Amino acid sequence: MSTSPIQPEQTSIQQKDPLTPNVEDLYLESYAFTTAAAIVGSVDRKIFVVLRDGRNVFGILRTFDQFANLVLQDTIERIYLETEEAQESVPKRFAETYRGVFMIRGENVVMMGELDIDKEDDHLQEWQQIPFPEAEKELTASQAAKIKEQKLKSKNLLTKGLISDFAPSDLY
Amino acid sequence: MLPLYLLTAAKNQPILVELKNGETINGQLVNCDSWMNLTLKDVIQSSPHGDEFLKISECYIKGIHIKYLRLPEQLMDQAKEQNLQNMEQRNRNNQKRRGQSSNPNANSNASANANSNNSNSAPQRQQ
Repeated sequence: MSTSPIQPEQTSIQQKDPLTPNVEDLYLESYAFTTAAAIVGSVDRKIFVVLRDGRNVFGILRTFDQFANLVLQDTIERIYLETEEAQESVPKRFAETYRGVFMIRGENVVMMGELDIDKEDDHLQEWQQIPFPEAEKELTASQAAKIKEQKLKSKNLLTKGLISDFAPSDLY
Repeated sequence: MLPLYLLTAAKNQPILVELKNGETINGQLVNCDSWMNLTLKDVIQSSPHGDEFLKISECYIKGIHIKYLRLPEQLMDQAKEQNLQNMEQRNRNNQKRRGQSSNPNANSNASANANSNNSNSAPQRQQ
C-alpha cells in the first residue's frame, strides 16, 4: 500500500482517544432517523438532559414524541457549583434532589445524551455533596449576578452601536 | 405511549407545572389537549423565587408557556394498566363483531372489520 507511512500515525490517534468516532459513523446515511426519532434507541435507558434554564436532569427515558417532549422516570436534578479556577484548594460542590416522573416540553431541551450507568458517578468522587436548598440558593445568586453582568455588557455594546444577543432565559 | 397520552392519563390527579418564567403551579389536572394547554383546579401558584403564593380555584395554562411538568409517581403503571384494559376491551368487541358477521348476508361487514382490525393493531405495536 502506498499510504502505509501514514497508517501508524492514524492508529496511534485512535488509541489515544477511545471516543474518536469511526469515519462511517459521521455519515448521515448510517442513521435510520435524523430528527426527534433518532432518540428511539435511548428509550428505557438512563439519560441526562440539559434545559435552557441551566438545569441538569438525570433519569430513565420512557417516552418521547416528534417535538422531543420527553418523559423521564426516577428523575434526579443535580446542581454543579464550579469554583473559580484560582481557588483549587476548595472542593467543587454538587447537590441533587429527587424529582420523580418528569415531563419536559421539547423546546426547553438544549441537549440530551445516554449515560453509562457503570461510570456515571465516577466524576463525583472529586465533588463534595451539599444540601440541595443551599446549592439552589447559591446558584440563583450566581445566575442573578451573571444576568446583571450581561445586561451591563449589552448596554455598553449598545453605546458602540453593537447588539448583544443575550437572553436572560438562556442560562445553560 | 406518547407523552401527551400520558398526560391525559393524569387527569384528576395532582400535578406540578413550571412555566418558562420560573413560576410554578400546583393543582389538580382537569383537562388537557394536544397543544399541552391545561386546565387545573384547586391551584396554588408560586412566584419564580418561591416567595409569593397565590391560591386560585381554577386556571388555564397555555401549553407554549410550559417548561416542564412533574407527574404523580404511579402514573406510568396506571397508564399501562389502562392501556391493557382498553386493548382487551377492543379485542373483545372485535371478536363479537366477527361473530356477528359470520352469517352469510354480512360479507361487506366482515371486510370492514378486517380493516378496522388493522388500524387497531397499529397503535398496539408502538408500545
